[in-house]
Parts: sequence; structure tokens; C-alpha cells
Amino acid sequence: MANNLGLAVKPVTETPESEKKRVAEWINTEEYKELNFKREALVVMPPHTCQPLGAELVAHAFEGSLPFVHGSQGCASYYRSTLNRHFREPAPAVSDSMTEDGAVFGGQNNLHEGLENCIALYKPKMVSVFTSCMPEIIGDDLTSFIKNARNAGLVPEEMPVPYANTPSFNGSHIHGYDAMLLSILQTLTDGKKVEGRCTGKLNLIPGFDANTGNFREYKRIFSEFGIEGLILGDISDVFDSPLDGEYRTYPGGTPLEDAADSINGKATITVGPRSSAKTFKWVEDNYAGTNESMPMPLGIANTDAFLMKIAELTGHEVPESLKAERGRAVDAMTDAHQYIHGKKFAVYGDPDQLMGYISFLLEMGAVPYHVLINKGTKKVAKEVQALLDSSPYGAKATIYHKHDLWHLRSLLMTDPVDAIIGDTHGKGLARDAGIPLFRFGFPIFDRVNLHRRPIIGYQGAINMLTEICNKFLDITDETCDERHFEIMR
Amino acid sequence: MEKSKKMRQIAIYGKGGIGKSTTTQNTVAGLASLGKKVMIVGCDPKADSTRLILHAKAQETVMDKVRELGTVEDLELDDVLKYGYGDVKCVESGGPEPGVGCAGRGVITAINFLEEEGAYTDDLDFVFYDVLGDVVCGGFAMPIRENKAEEIYIVVSGEMMAMYAANNISKGILKYSTSGNVRLAGLICNSRNTDREADLIEALAAKLGTQMIHFVPRDNQVQRAELRRMTVIEYSPEHKQADEYRTLAQKINDNKMFVVPTPLEMDELEELLMEFGIMEVDDEENVGKAENA
Amino acid sequence: MAEKVELKTVEGVTKESTQSIIDDVLALYPEKGKKKRAPHLAPNDQLSGKACVNSNKKTVPGVMSARGCAYAGAKGVVWGPIRDMVHISHGPVGCGWYSWGTRRNLVTGQLGVDQFAMQFTSDFQERDVVYGGDKKLEKLIHEAKELFPLAKGFSVLSECPVGLIGDDINAVAKRVAQDLDTPVIPCNCEGFRGVSQSLGHHISNDTIRDYIIETREFEEPIGPYDIALIGEYNIGGDAWSTKPLLEECGFNVKAVWTGDGELEKIAATHQVKLNVIHCYRSMNYMCKVMEEKYGIPWIELNFFGPSKIKTSLRKLAELFDDTIKEKVEAVIAKYDPQMQAIIEEYKPRLDGKKVMLYVGGLRPRHTIGAYEDLGMSCVGSGYEFAHSDDYDRTAPEMPEATVVFDDASEIELEKFAEEMKPDLVGSGIKEKYMFQKMGVPFRQMHSWDYSGPYHGYKGFPIFARDIDMAINSPTWNLVKSPF
Repeated sequence: MANNLGLAVKPVTETPESEKKRVAEWINTEEYKELNFKREALVVMPPHTCQPLGAELVAHAFEGSLPFVHGSQGCASYYRSTLNRHFREPAPAVSDSMTEDGAVFGGQNNLHEGLENCIALYKPKMVSVFTSCMPEIIGDDLTSFIKNARNAGLVPEEMPVPYANTPSFNGSHIHGYDAMLLSILQTLTDGKKVEGRCTGKLNLIPGFDANTGNFREYKRIFSEFGIEGLILGDISDVFDSPLDGEYRTYPGGTPLEDAADSINGKATITVGPRSSAKTFKWVEDNYAGTNESMPMPLGIANTDAFLMKIAELTGHEVPESLKAERGRAVDAMTDAHQYIHGKKFAVYGDPDQLMGYISFLLEMGAVPYHVLINKGTKKVAKEVQALLDSSPYGAKATIYHKHDLWHLRSLLMTDPVDAIIGDTHGKGLARDAGIPLFRFGFPIFDRVNLHRRPIIGYQGAINMLTEICNKFLDITDETCDERHFEIMR
Repeated sequence: MEKSKKMRQIAIYGKGGIGKSTTTQNTVAGLASLGKKVMIVGCDPKADSTRLILHAKAQETVMDKVRELGTVEDLELDDVLKYGYGDVKCVESGGPEPGVGCAGRGVITAINFLEEEGAYTDDLDFVFYDVLGDVVCGGFAMPIRENKAEEIYIVVSGEMMAMYAANNISKGILKYSTSGNVRLAGLICNSRNTDREADLIEALAAKLGTQMIHFVPRDNQVQRAELRRMTVIEYSPEHKQADEYRTLAQKINDNKMFVVPTPLEMDELEELLMEFGIMEVDDEENVGKAENA
Repeated sequence: MAEKVELKTVEGVTKESTQSIIDDVLALYPEKGKKKRAPHLAPNDQLSGKACVNSNKKTVPGVMSARGCAYAGAKGVVWGPIRDMVHISHGPVGCGWYSWGTRRNLVTGQLGVDQFAMQFTSDFQERDVVYGGDKKLEKLIHEAKELFPLAKGFSVLSECPVGLIGDDINAVAKRVAQDLDTPVIPCNCEGFRGVSQSLGHHISNDTIRDYIIETREFEEPIGPYDIALIGEYNIGGDAWSTKPLLEECGFNVKAVWTGDGELEKIAATHQVKLNVIHCYRSMNYMCKVMEEKYGIPWIELNFFGPSKIKTSLRKLAELFDDTIKEKVEAVIAKYDPQMQAIIEEYKPRLDGKKVMLYVGGLRPRHTIGAYEDLGMSCVGSGYEFAHSDDYDRTAPEMPEATVVFDDASEIELEKFAEEMKPDLVGSGIKEKYMFQKMGVPFRQMHSWDYSGPYHGYKGFPIFARDIDMAINSPTWNLVKSPF
């Protein structure tokens, strides 16, 4: 008798259809919502993931940088496949395959052997080390491990090995991004500050952003300005590389020399104030130029502010081409406003992106209604509230900062909205609620090329608008009765 | 994290029950009375590293508060940083009861939090980490990682197990000293009135390549002060025991002897103990024999 | 069991040529790494019927392995597909998030009502690590029971921190199971255990043995044709092809382990007459337990491609009476012409093409026949997490002297592809885009690349179409720019 739980042996049963029907209706009710919101321990379909994923993203974003997971190989496989699926691109990264003995004796041997092998096999210019759960719990000391590796001659003298502690039981992927970026910049710029030197370049910290189109758009904006910009952590060529018959382990990324010299830049802007908070704080204390923290340029006002800041920092006027682009975006928004004005949205995402979506919706006269902050803190919730308070269209919004997508489902079922802005993980909710889902966030596992179309800047505003309004128009065409099926919309 | 150069970070280790917390707090009070700015970070789930400074039964710990709030992100420095005697800043990392969870991670969590929230202000002269017993896992070594404590004092007495522990801790320091700047700064003898105690600890210190920085005699005044949840220095500043701690504080303040320790092999340590009569010379053949056998 | 093996060869591939490629690959490694990797790479010795490589060893640090962990084997493979249970990823948020809907084990039912293919996690924070997570676990199972009343049970899948801090999920599971009168299965599958997903399969099998089997009984009497389908995970709907096929052959498939699986039927599997196993690697343990404990024989079948299906069904029929034998022959006679039509359609476009495989624990050998049905041959194959018995079974399937690789690193796969020049690589998502950038057609062979099913007669036409589509897509003509 194999029943170690001490339960009685029972016959195989089938749940009656009537019972399934009852529950299917019940989970859409107000009563269920209340029960659902009483949860204290169970988390169901959280929209955020763990720190190392973000660390890996930015570890890919520097030229010749090989992401290195200090921990279990299974973790590395999970991060890699997530990036593969989202970008439909390779994501070469290694781990040092810690197992049970590593858990007991510490992971130094694994780290050392791993460094030796990955440097020989994959010839990186830099190895960017970050941690998964195991070394964080047993308290591995990366500082001393890596120093010992150097002393043992396992790492070439000139090769940078930044490293970050990225415990998975704290924060989310955006915090891992921040920690790894900080270490990369600290490592590369060490000793590179030259009094009086100025590269003349504008440094841009994009924050956790998995849209390669956005990165190309930033670069286009720089080129419209005629200024030299440097993106600190540039994934555009890494995760949008050409198919020409040759596999490149390191197809792009911010050049290491440029990143090292970024400390002597003219100015540094972060447009990911919440996903690069620690990095930016350090930059402020250490970088030569002016440092500015801006909202992600989503929507017109945020883009305006971004461009004006560039103008102010570089002494270049906002170019005519971008002024015209702004006009075209506003034209597009005015043309299309009637299809989105007053529509209610459920929005969720990482804080920087989320606030951008909200700004954009408010500009369109749309109504952010259920607002769910991925892994939100009280502080971020306050900032989001202030943004909502800035417009009458934000008055109906409720913020949820400690909730997950199963909570959001209850909200959608009891207090319906017209659409969701989020990522692929919201698709079940959208289907149950019978409303469209706009995939502006991360990850996107089920649509092609959305990571290639920018959502930042004026062009990005047009892109978001086009997707949203045309989808609403499709729905009208698909669902209206015959008498109201019209040629014009 | 760049730390202000003048801030000295000190970790106090030693066998459990040796009097680390009491010694640390009295010494810190001594430094405070010399006009120094000090922070104590208690790195022991028992959370008894600050009560004499705060006159509190138990300070609310970082981990208690994190448990209450759910996540460390919502914790604020004011929630867990308290000021006590001599304006000493007090923080306790806290942690679980023995037998559950991971106390070592609690130390890491707490110290990371303090760094991120800017608890290490430039005006501090000293930060003291009062660390649980022996180093039991990576978490309890957190205070001696790079850019944290570079000076370690081991509290010891003339009892055999205390000396074993001191030697083991020295081994840990040796390991860390190869990659960082952590150094052994001395042994503090917290007297248990064993035979030839001062000489023995002096000898042990010499073998380890360090010094016995001070011999703190046993005095019941310490316990009397503790009953009031005070340090001797605050409770009876004129008492001779208060002088002892002020002397220790002054010595630590003036200390320049920071060494990579030379831990003893087991045989060497046992020889030393035999030499001082702590261990019987004929021990080997009697091992495992009962007294009346 | 033993089929007559005919020596298969691939033009230009000899033991010497393959060994020389392997030597070149090994030369990329530092000395220590080379020594560790060498026993895992070898030319196939087809007629030996024996493994030519070492396997199930620790991954060499730093090599870019494709392997996962024990948790992945438990949550993703064995437990996750059981549709009517709530599977709790116990620990930090990531593991459950990464394995959320990323295997394509399709399920019947309505999400959150009677199927639960979503992410449930205890979302460990620092406090849970420091103070332990047992209390939280107990509470969250109660919450899940309230919110998902039709769940037939709960699995608790431990992530690394749970084992490292020494939580006692077994005690919690037992207590809550009794409180709720519902099975709560503690599965100590922390990712740091073992060397790959494989240990997660084994641990999960053991938990089925210890907590599930024999806890239910079928109400209807057991018949002579009652069987269970084991190691069928319903990837892209595979079980919806294989189960009806077996039923058409006259069997009653009482339980499927675990694709689109139902807990109570799995729990009553000790009553069936035969276990039919597809994925040997992940479920052989329970077949052996059921054989020893309840005297249930088991048989390994292969549902990929008409040749293997035909052989398999006849092998199966041999164990039964004429009723079954006749039905099986009727089924073969019905589908063979349909399959022949598929072969006639695609073979002209695929004949002589070479495929290289690198998958988990079954498909590197089991799919070879399906490629051969289309006129293709396999020039290299290997597993992420197979054991010696899998490689024994692989030897006869692969042509002589083709390359066998165990726990291959990315650079090894790249070099093998450069040298063996396959027309198609069948592997996983992490490998896919590297090969495509190289201009090598690719199909994901874990997930059927968002297609499927590939099993059974229903699957083969889809398989053939997909393989043709991958190899002959006109986009490959555009790879080289004219300037």
C-alpha cells in the first residue's frame, strides 16, 4: 500500500459537468473576487520573473560579453530559452553547473573551472557573472572567488569579469538588470576617468527594455540630432542580428572601450529610472558630465521631454525632422482619437514601461482603469498614482501593486474593460474576458516581430496607436450586426 | 560600494557564549565615550547585540520587519536603525529560531539593505559586526567580505573550546585574506579565571601571529549592569571594570597590528594546551576511558 | 524484442572520419575539459547494440550545456502535464515562470476551473528563505483549495532554496492532505540535485510510487484489454493521436501518464493489464515498479513514422489474442495507404537529406525511423540527459560510424554541423537560432516547433509537412545576398 498520505482508497470519479459549469460561472463573480483578493500566500500567474533573467539580458548587451550564471545549469537554460523565445534569436550563455556538492562546499571550484572552459571555448572579451539561488543562499563570495581565479591565472589579466549578486527571492528581473549593469560599468570604467577629458558623447541608459526596435529608434533620434550617442547596454544588434549564413556568438553590443570611456561622457540620461536606479545613482556620483533621470519616452509628452533634454545637454536644437515627426504623430493621434477616447484599459508591466503606457493612454483620452504594477513597491505605487492624478482620465484608475494576473482576471470579470496592455502572459485573461491584448511588454512568445517595432518616441506612439485602434476596428467589423457593417470606419 | 577611508569596520567573532555581545557593547560604549561615532550591526539571529546600548529587551530586527512587510523593498532605514547610548547606531539583522530557515542569508539580506539605504554614513568612525558563534556558512562570513570589515577581533578565554574556536576562526580569516584585505587584529581575552589564562592567550596569540590586545578581567559589575540592560560604562562609569573597557576601546582605536593569521595545526594547539596543563599529557592513551574505568 | 538490424551507412562517414571530427572538437577544450568531454563523444557502432559514450555525468562547468535541472524534469515533464492538479512551484518566482506554458503539453478543460495549466508559486522573498517557507506553503495550499475547488490534488515542486534551507515539505504535505482530504504530493526535486532533468523524472516517479499509485480504483471491472499509456506527454496533442489509435486497435486506455493526464486515473493504474511506454527515459522507473509490485508487464513502443508504428503495433498485438491481432492488422491496412500517399508526396523532396538530432532522452533515437520513412538519414544524434540504456537502444537505430554526442555543448554542435553538413537539425529552442543563422534548416524537436502532433498516424502527415517546410522553405534561397 503506497499511500503515504494516509488517505482512504476511493473510486476514480469524474467531476460532473454541472459542477464544472457552476465553478466556471463562480470564478467570474464578485464573491470569487473577494476570496481571490484575500490570498496572502499563494501567487498565481505573476507577471514578473527573477533577477538573473534581467542580468542576463544586459550581460548580452556589451560587445563580446558572455553571460555566466554562477549556479545551477537549469537556471541558465531557463533564462536562455526565455530570451530565445522572445527575440527568436540565439542567446549564448554559460553556467558553472553547480550541483549538490557545490551547495555544501561552496561554488568556487565550479566558477574557476567554468571560467577556464568558457574563455577557451567561446573567446569572450568579457565574462559577466551573475548568480542564481544556490550561491546566494550558501553565501558564496564572488569577490574573493574571482580574485582567486585571477591569481590562479584562469582569467587573462586584461579581461574584465564584472559580477553581480542577483538573488531570485528579492526584487524582479529589472533589479537583476540594474545590478549587472552597475557592475559592468563599475568594472569597465575603473581607472578610466580622466580629469578634463570629455568624449562629447551622450550616454543613454535604456533600462530593462526587450524591444530591439526601441534601441534602433534611440539611435535614429541621435542621428537626427547629429549627435554622438552611446547606449550603455545596446541589445539592438545582439538580439536582431542578420541571417547571412554565418553564426556569430557576439553579433553586437556596446563596445567595451566606449563603455569604459563613458565615464568621461558629456552627459548621461537614464530612461529606465526604476530599472537602473542603483546604476544611475552610482553614475551620478562618478560620471563626469551632467546626469539626468527621465521617464521612458513613451507617448508625446515623455518624448518631448526626452528630446528637450537632449537639446539642453548637447546644445543642439531639436531638429526640424523630429519636429515634423512630432506633428505627424499628433496628426495620427488626432485622426484616430475617436477610436480610443474613453476606452477603458487594464494595464500591467514593469514600472518604467507601465508609466509610459499610462502617459500615452491619458494623452489619447483613454482611461487606464485596472493598473497592476509588476512587483510593485509602495514607493512606485505612489509615483504611478501621481501620474494618474495629473489627468482627469486617470481619475477612475485603481492601482494594484502586490497582485498577480489571477487577481487581474477577477477584476476583468467583475468590472470589465475594453482591452489589456501587457505581455503574452495576459492572453488567457484577454480570451476569458473577450477583449484584445496589446503586447507592448515582455515577454512576447506568441507573435512575431513585435520586439522589432519601436514603441518609444513619436514613431513608437504612432505604432502603439495603430495597433490599438485598428484592433478595435477589426472587432467592430467582426462583431457588428449586418446592418452596421460598413465600408468606412 | 566605496566607503569613506576613515571608517573602520570591525568584526567580532568567537565561540558561542564567550561574551561577544557584552564585550562588543561595552567596548563600543567605551569608544563612544571617547567621542567616536559608532554603528553596531548585530549578525546573530538571537538579536542580543544592541540591547545594552538601547536598554531594550530586544530591538526590532531587519528580518522581523521584512517578515512583517513581506518584501525588503518596502522596508525603510528608520524602521530598523535605532540610536542608543553615546549616539551609537544600532541594527540587528535578526533571523529564525534554530532549526528552520537560513539565518546566514538573514545576515546577507540585512547588510545589503543597510548598504543600499545608506546606513554607512561618512561621519561614522567605526562599524562593529557582532557575529554569531563560529562561521557556520557563507552568510556569516558576509561581514568580512571585501569592502566590509577588515579588522577582526576574536573574543576568547582560557577554556579549551574557546581556543579551538579562535583557531578555527583564524583559518577562516586566512582563507579570506588571500583575496581581500581582511586581517586579524587581535584576541580579546574575556577572562573565565582559568589557570594562567593571560599567559596562555598571550602564547596562543603569538602562535597565531597576533596579539592579545587586552585582558578583560571577570567582574560581576558587568552582570549588575546587564540586569539594568546597560553597559558598565554607562551604568557605573567610575567603576574599575569601566576603565578596562575604556582601555580596550583606546587600544582598538590605536591598534595598528593587522596580520594574516597563522592558524595552528591540531597537534600544535593540543601541545599548547598540554603545556599550560589544560590537557593532560597522557591524554592519548586515556581517550575514551571513563573516569572510573 | 530484438529486431533484426541491418547495417546502415552514410556515404563518406567512417569511424575514422567521425573520430577525426571529434578530435578537432576536443582540441578546442583546455586539458581538463577535454579529458572530461572525450568519453561523451564517439562514432556509432551500430551492430554492437551498446552505448558508445558515457552518459548521465555531471556537466562540465562553463561549456554552454543545454541541460535543465531536476525541477525542470519534475515540474515540466512528469507532474506539469497532469491537468486536474494544482502544481505549486515552491520557492522563488522564476522557476515556475520559466516553465509556465513553455512545454506544449496540451490539456483538456477550462483554465482555473478543471484544468490548471497556469503558474502557481510561493514566490519566496528574503524572509521566506531566512525564516523558512513551511508555514507559507501550508497556507497557500489551503488558499488554492478554496479558489480551485475542482483540483484533484496538489503537487509541491521544490526549488533550490527549499532544500538548501532544510524546509520539511513532506511534513506539510501530509498534514494538509489530511486536513483537506486531498492528495498533496511533496516532490523534493530541487534543481541542484543530480546532473540533469533526469533525476527530476526519477524523483517524480518515486513520488507517484509513494503517494499516488493504489490510492484510487476503477469502478468498472477490469477487462483484458485495459492498458495504460506511459511516457506520453501530449506535446502538441500527441496523446490525442496515440490514445485513439490504441483504442482503434481494441484497447481501453485507462490512463495516460501524464499528458492531458488525470490524477485519479493515474492513481488506479495498478489495475491495468499492460503498460505501454513511449518515453522510456522519463517513466521506465514506474513501469518497473508496477511490474515488480503488481505483475504488470510493460512494452516499449515507437509512434513516430509508419514503419515504426507498424512494427510497434504488431509487437503489441503479439501479447494479446486474435481479436486484437485482427484489429491491429485492420488498422495497419487502413492507414498504410494513407501514409504511403504522404511519403509519395514528400519523399521526392527529402530523399537523401541528412538530419542531425540533439534532444532530451527519447527522440534522438525514436524519430530516426520517421526521417528514414521520408528517405532521410541521421548523421549525428545525442541526448541532453540519457543514460547508458538509452544509448544502447540508440546504437542500432543510427547508421554506422555517425557521430554520437552526450550532453553536447553549443560549440560541439556547431562544429559537428559544420563537418557533417546536415540538411536539417532537430533540437531545442536554445540551439534553433544558432543553426538558422548558419543557414541550416531547423525544427524544434522538444515542442514540435509550435506544431504537432507528430505521434501516430495522425502525426506523421504533419511531421512530413513540417520537415519539408523547414528544409525546402524558399527563404533559404535568400540567405546569400547578391551583392
